[in-house]
Amino acid sequence: MKKIICFLSCIVFCLSCSDTDDYEAIFLENETIALEIPVGFPALNNAFYTNRPTKLGVELGKKLFSDKRFSANNTIACSSCHIQANAFADNNAKAIGIFARIGLRNTPPIQNMAFLNFYNWDGSKLQLEKQSIVPIITHEEMNSSIIEVIDKINVDKAYRDLFKKTFGDENITPERIYKSIAQFEYTLISANSKYDRVKRKENESFSVSEARGYQVFQEKCNSCHSTELFTDQSFRNIGFPLNTDSNEGGRGRVTGIEKDYMSFRVPTLRNIEVTAPYGSFGQFATLRQLLDYLDNGVILTDNLDPIFKENGNRIPLNEQEKIDLISFMKTLTDTHFLGGD
Amino acid sequence: MKNFKKYLLMPAILLAVVSCSNDDENPVANSVALKFNNTFDNTTIILGDAASTTASVKTSGAGQVHRFSELKYVISNIRLVKTDGTEVPYNVNNLDKGAVIVDQSKEASLNYVMSNIPVGEYAKIKFGLGVKQVLNALDQVKFPSFYAAAGANDTEMMWEWGTGYRFTKLEGFYGADNKQMSIHTGSTVEGNKGDATSYVQGVDAYRDITLELTAKAIVGKNPPKITIKADFNKLLSGTTAITLSTGTSGSSNATPNIHTALQMVKFVDNLGGNGTTDVKGMFSILAVEN
Repeated sequence: MKKIICFLSCIVFCLSCSDTDDYEAIFLENETIALEIPVGFPALNNAFYTNRPTKLGVELGKKLFSDKRFSANNTIACSSCHIQANAFADNNAKAIGIFARIGLRNTPPIQNMAFLNFYNWDGSKLQLEKQSIVPIITHEEMNSSIIEVIDKINVDKAYRDLFKKTFGDENITPERIYKSIAQFEYTLISANSKYDRVKRKENESFSVSEARGYQVFQEKCNSCHSTELFTDQSFRNIGFPLNTDSNEGGRGRVTGIEKDYMSFRVPTLRNIEVTAPYGSFGQFATLRQLLDYLDNGVILTDNLDPIFKENGNRIPLNEQEKIDLISFMKTLTDTHFLGGD
Repeated sequence: MKNFKKYLLMPAILLAVVSCSNDDENPVANSVALKFNNTFDNTTIILGDAASTTASVKTSGAGQVHRFSELKYVISNIRLVKTDGTEVPYNVNNLDKGAVIVDQSKEASLNYVMSNIPVGEYAKIKFGLGVKQVLNALDQVKFPSFYAAAGANDTEMMWEWGTGYRFTKLEGFYGADNKQMSIHTGSTVEGNKGDATSYVQGVDAYRDITLELTAKAIVGKNPPKITIKADFNKLLSGTTAITLSTGTSGSSNATPNIHTALQMVKFVDNLGGNGTTDVKGMFSILAVEN
């Protein structure tokens, strides 16, 4: 008897749903993407598990990412500064936004974000879903607001359809926008450089100079540029020339801790060949200039990183080592990730 | 004829008075007005730029003359406490209905009227300087009015990079040569600062203020008015004496890089107390009018 009741109620349920069968079918099609986690990569950010990339979510996020209506005057999209060929960074010293306004810092690349626990140079954001609102409202970036954005894209039927397919109904909400963009960013994984192929023994090997550079890297660089992400995600003041903008304080402006003053997240070295200039506000035009600076000695401050303090405020590098290090760093370029062949 | 008209009118007036009298004599609620008086000691501050001859000028304990050209702060989470200890919250979870940006340049913002406060005798007022963390998220959908007010070009009470509101924004000049002074405070905290399991990082710049009223505020047929003094002499000469310095080092504090290190917290504590031994900061009650 129980079974029969159950069966009947199932039928009723099915019938009552039949109107929305089409949408159910489409919604079911929106399966989660199985991301391939590269060998040796660290654990995923916890936020990933509550916003797993789906096929349609990523498609939607990608579309939003390149939509210029995110800026007040429809001129700047996320992709205006986060350019794929530059590992989703650009070649400006400081980011340039709406009305050619110049921002505070160098545009960070967007790659392997799913594995990071801190976002932005100062680690102010801990989840990608909470990051994308920042450029939308920042005066020097897009100078808009999320409701302004929603009002603009809401008139676009293609968007309403995509939101419906992705989330079940047409409602364009801030949370759905943030989630979609994050989902797209989660899929931007770079782990197919020459370095990776050498590591995986895929019939490639380092040149003599690259191999020497890898040695130097292991001796002098990878205590900070560690793990397969080439960053240990710590915040350090390594005595780079200071950004004198009064809004800059590095990590210190987030934590309120004195030792974090002008400390920045150790940047990844992946695809570094295409993300010049270097430093939190593009202090160095070339890798060579940056290495020369480390070799000549950095600015000594109270909170200078201990590794520098203990080594005379410098990383000594001879001419050959510099050449070899640069050769090695170029093996971290992932042509496929950058949209090449 | 003239007199006759008067007689006709009389009952109408009487009727009107009578019909209203029930409500007037036994209201269940009334409004309470808050008046903010921003001062240097006991003198209301007059804003002005470096060249102004009318601007209020104050010399700090450390001997630095200073003046304000802009003075703004957020008051939210207002609670009135009855003489029996009952706390009456006023839209404490709604920034649109329960928060105000006090702006010295806008007279209207100095008078905040809270409506529909239950009748009774009140002995204390509590409020927050800033926005408590759970609401401090620049949520335009939830609180469109407050978001718009804070984001207005002449207000600029948003901290975009931290996706929170500015709690105080003080612009002005200091020293004999009128160097720029720009002091902003706001929270960057992620997780609950008091709870080690959820606390992640950042500074909590919200301060909860408690003030004993100098006389009972009686909400009845009259709406009481509470005048609150905010003595900005406390900024530099409060619990911690602060000497302003301009520059780009971690100890420079006269420009917004006071967001760094512990510099901001010193200002926050001077203005809003430290939350434990000092729950008044710069605030005090000037008058209660019933």
